[in-house]
Amino acid sequence: MKKLLLALLVAAGAAHAEDVLHLYNWNNYLAPETVKRFEAECKCKVVQDYYGAMEEMLAKLSAGAKGYDVVVPTGFAIPPLVKQNLVQPLDKAKLPNLKNVDAGFMNSPFDEGNKFSVPYAFTTTLVGYNDAKIKELGLDPASWAIIFDPAVLAKIKGKVTVLDDSRELFAAALMYNGFSANSTNPEEWAKAKETILKAKPFWAAFNTQSYIKELTLGNIWVAHGYSSDMFQANLDAKAAKRKFGIGYVLQKEGNTLSLDSVMVLKSAPRPDLAYKFINFMLDGKNSSELTNMIGSGNPNAASAQFVQPDIKKISAVFPDAEAKKKLVQLSALEGKPLRELNKLWTQVKTAKKK
Amino acid sequence: MAYNNNRVSKWLISGPPLLYLILFFAIPTLIMAFAAFRFPGDYGGLLPLVGTNDAGATALLVNSENWRDYLTLENFGRFFDDPIYIELFVKSFWYAGITTLSCLVLAYPLAWLIARSPKKYRDLLVLLVILPFWSNFLIRVYAWMIILGPQGYLARAANGVLALFGVGPVQILFSHFAVIVVLVYVHLPFMVLPLYANLEKHDMNLLDAAQDLGANTWQRFWRITWPLSLPGVFAGAALVFIPALGMFAVPDLVGGTDGFMIGNLIKQQFLDSRDWPFGSVLSIMLTLAVLLLAAIAGWLGRGGKRDAL
Repeated sequence: MKKLLLALLVAAGAAHAEDVLHLYNWNNYLAPETVKRFEAECKCKVVQDYYGAMEEMLAKLSAGAKGYDVVVPTGFAIPPLVKQNLVQPLDKAKLPNLKNVDAGFMNSPFDEGNKFSVPYAFTTTLVGYNDAKIKELGLDPASWAIIFDPAVLAKIKGKVTVLDDSRELFAAALMYNGFSANSTNPEEWAKAKETILKAKPFWAAFNTQSYIKELTLGNIWVAHGYSSDMFQANLDAKAAKRKFGIGYVLQKEGNTLSLDSVMVLKSAPRPDLAYKFINFMLDGKNSSELTNMIGSGNPNAASAQFVQPDIKKISAVFPDAEAKKKLVQLSALEGKPLRELNKLWTQVKTAKKK
Repeated sequence: MAYNNNRVSKWLISGPPLLYLILFFAIPTLIMAFAAFRFPGDYGGLLPLVGTNDAGATALLVNSENWRDYLTLENFGRFFDDPIYIELFVKSFWYAGITTLSCLVLAYPLAWLIARSPKKYRDLLVLLVILPFWSNFLIRVYAWMIILGPQGYLARAANGVLALFGVGPVQILFSHFAVIVVLVYVHLPFMVLPLYANLEKHDMNLLDAAQDLGANTWQRFWRITWPLSLPGVFAGAALVFIPALGMFAVPDLVGGTDGFMIGNLIKQQFLDSRDWPFGSVLSIMLTLAVLLLAAIAGWLGRGGKRDAL
């Protein structure tokens, strides 16, 4: 017994002395294989902690959570982290692979000059669908009309879910009406709200949690959601040997793009490992695994040659120059416009079916 | 001396739970009540009252001249300005009310059966009632999503029967009906247990005496069992009604586009909209509404007892 205790103590001591990188990341946003290879290369351990939403991450870090080295925020969450003094400026000399990042993704309005953040991966928000059903019904998924136009929706009533996310749903409705996804013009917002209320009776649910499952079960035929989730849904449908696949395309009116970046926290216990990790992930081959295994879009130009050819053909994951023009990042909303949108959102959520 | 000792031991026993309640209930409630009068911060939370002033030192920012920039009644005004909030309250009370009533109707016969079953089986039966708690709440709700889903047996059987009468298929998942079904399922044990605890203690001799005096089955139930069980009914109703009222996970998961309840709205203020002050207003209103209801129930409960005597 004593020997066992001693062995445990020694093991614990050894683990403690080891180098550990603490990564605070999105769920399902880094393949285990990639982690293993990084651990082998840096001779360290990676401990991941996860969040499912930006607000959750911001709330935790703003409240003073410590012990993380690297965090992976979406664009609009970068300014709050910078302004609250939670992240440190990057020493670019330690990131030789930074040159691999596509210039089109650098210099975003959220962090001009990329003083604090490095683009890591992205998803697009789009329409995913049951390919067999959509073909059978002869519907066109490449327009937002498929979730907003009552004439189209009449054919798929009760088989549609939309994101339970005010920013994303209003952005889609704004683009469907021909407005900018980032508009804060009250009249345009009112139009978007009208569009949403007209379509709402045809939707089954506002859903951000289980649409992957509902799509793969065949309960839902059309879902408004994220490209990487649709990638997952399609893999799941294949694994379950369904008679249908999950297709996903960008909409002709435009789509939102969520660019996730890596940042080093001010309180990072091991900034050295943080830099090693970021530089490792900026390597083309390592970065390509984010696309090959998770289905996320890739801002890394050097990764393209390693991406599987069939994934490269999916424009929602690999938008070409033409498609990129129609992708918009959501801007940060705060203060009065945020409260105004909140009000509209409550009206949308509480409106009764007519 | 003995008196003193008694007082000390009283404090020793009631002190820790009291301290716990003060720390984790009373103080947070006061903080929330105060938050309802403040402005939201730029990045969520609340607009700070203490911060760096013009001179660069950390100081209290609010003073007698500028307090209007820091404290406001606007959040309460917003609640009453738009009828949708009140309507949502009414709807949530309606949902919770139907849930409570359904639980009562289902739980009463069950609790009565358990209380009247042979003593050696009672513990086992009670254990069976609480058995669902052994698995996680969300897993049970997800199980209901599969049961109620269009590919589930229940929906297919129901729609098969409806088709015989020439009625088109109905959607069961993502409906009001689904919300109520799952709310009833989740809360049923909370109604069964207090009812059982009450019914088990009833003196059977009373029923025998009533029978001897010529009361029929219905009269025996309505004049004796039911009035005596009212404390159990009220305890169960409170245990079901209040959590059902604040529930947000169930409407989120099975509710569809109009399953939204007051709990969802409060969650939305804190997690999505970053509007803590308005979330606090909604929470306070909900607390007040529940207190009002408890007062009414207490008043009715007293009336009920008087009838029983």
